[in-house]
Amino acid sequence: MAFVTIAYLVYLLVPILLLLVGSVGETWFNTLLPQGMTGAWYVQVASDGSFRRAFTTSLIVCAGTCLVSALIALPLAYSLHNMAHRGVKTVLRVIALLPVAVPPLVLGFGFVLVFSSDELPFLGSLWVLVGGHVALALPYLLQALVADMRHLNLAMLEQAAAAMGAGFAARFFDIVLPSLRHSLLSGLIMVAALSLGEFQLSNLVAGFLTRPYPVVLLQAFYGATGFACAATVVLLGLALIAAVSGGLTARSARGLQGVAS
Amino acid sequence: MNAAVSLQNVSYAYPGSGHGVANLSLDIQPGELIAVIGPSGCGKSTLLKLVAGFLQPDAGRLLLNGRDAGALLPQQREIGIVFQAYALFPHMTAAENVAYPLKLRGLAKAARLARANAMLARVGLSDRAHQRPGQLSGGQQQRVALARALVFNPQALLLDEPLSALDASLRIGMRDEIRHLQREHGIATLHITHDQEEALSIADRIVVMRDGRVLQVATPREIYERPVDAMVAGFVGQANLWPGNLTAPDRIDTAIGMLQILPQPDFAPGQPTIAMVRPEAVRLGAAGDGINGFSGAVVRDRYLGALRRFDLSIPGGVIAGETASAEPVTAVHIPPSAIRLLPAQ
Repeated sequence: MAFVTIAYLVYLLVPILLLLVGSVGETWFNTLLPQGMTGAWYVQVASDGSFRRAFTTSLIVCAGTCLVSALIALPLAYSLHNMAHRGVKTVLRVIALLPVAVPPLVLGFGFVLVFSSDELPFLGSLWVLVGGHVALALPYLLQALVADMRHLNLAMLEQAAAAMGAGFAARFFDIVLPSLRHSLLSGLIMVAALSLGEFQLSNLVAGFLTRPYPVVLLQAFYGATGFACAATVVLLGLALIAAVSGGLTARSARGLQGVAS
Repeated sequence: MNAAVSLQNVSYAYPGSGHGVANLSLDIQPGELIAVIGPSGCGKSTLLKLVAGFLQPDAGRLLLNGRDAGALLPQQREIGIVFQAYALFPHMTAAENVAYPLKLRGLAKAARLARANAMLARVGLSDRAHQRPGQLSGGQQQRVALARALVFNPQALLLDEPLSALDASLRIGMRDEIRHLQREHGIATLHITHDQEEALSIADRIVVMRDGRVLQVATPREIYERPVDAMVAGFVGQANLWPGNLTAPDRIDTAIGMLQILPQPDFAPGQPTIAMVRPEAVRLGAAGDGINGFSGAVVRDRYLGALRRFDLSIPGGVIAGETASAEPVTAVHIPPSAIRLLPAQ
């Protein structure tokens, strides 16, 4: 058991370690490890115009995706949870989860077809990127919220609040939103991580000036190894920040709920 | 004076299942505690939801303090509810939970927290005011829920099996406490429970329900001593029930033999009836006058601390009895005054 775990960890970590090493190696050519040490690759990445623009684009798209996802997922999860009719509930849940099963490439082609038409000539705009990322990430956020609503028995909490005199708005802002804050936050961090790392769909629908970071990163692989490594480490860092903070919130949320139940 | 809660010929059927309540009428007087008991699915929770406004009756009227409440939303009814699972808001402290109904009524923060803390003191939780529900025990959560339901002086209090999630040892203390608080507030209360002992011990009146219908509404003593039928007799407390035929006004022929009874005006000879005897009315030893005496062997003997409950096997059936004595039981007799006739279904 321990052996398998360690082997798997090595398998996972070695490429990342090599990336880290490569990003600070001066030259890396026909040797096991690079020769010399330098921070120059990072400086080059930071001063490269297209990388800087892509970095900003990725952050903007990520923030937009989080915002739009939250605005859609909260009411959607709420109505899914409160839907009385079982059949309708199941159908809606399947539709909402469909994007998980559909490969991003397929979704991307769809976007290309729709948004390159004369009626909707938005291909290449930031909005189309955000729209695509929302479609891909929404199911995960939705799942997290619906599961939490069920776990908290939100319907009962709302009945209790209603009996005390709380109307819909009071219930939503005093009870529903604060009760869901942990799952909303951890779900959004998942959304952020997905958005930051998304390549397939973005590659198809992004315009030349709205290419997010992973799409531009592909270009780096045609240049110097050190540059490619440094550029990848930047993305890795971003994703890692998202993943770790996601994990931490999920854990603190579980901790709180664990005491509560 | 108007009843605090008045249900008049209320019917409700769950869509698709047909379960619910049918033609139910019930008045809860101000300050009265009514316990509703019955087997699962009898409609007692439906009754609570109808009064709370979570369900709308298909037919009939609901009045709160004399005013028609049929069109009111739950939030307009001014009714305090304690849920089986307490339904405390997990993101608020105990004091914030109790203060929330006051916040909805526009009280300033200091004023509402002061009242919430006073209410928490009444339920003995002053030192827990700043803890979240997750840090409280089941009994403490129960008290917070009770404080929260009472703090805004509602028109009525609904208790949905509030004690069923508590340990047996805690239950008895809590039920006395509920009774005490209810008395203090003088608030009309509907207490849903499946525990007949709980109902007998705290209710002013008991409603026994089955299949969406009310079988009997009466004081605990009347329910226990004069149940309307065998179902009520069997559900409230223990009972020996022997179907039989009245051969004379003072004689009933049952499977365990001819029983001598006191004449009961509602029953005429020839009518199929059931003879009911509570276990504690069964006397040990042979009767001095030889009336209703039986002898046999004890087939089950349960030690219950202060008393023991035994099943005496006799030709034709079993007699369940109770005694405080530790003596072996071989013969019993049933005083005619202890036999009550019930209509056979």
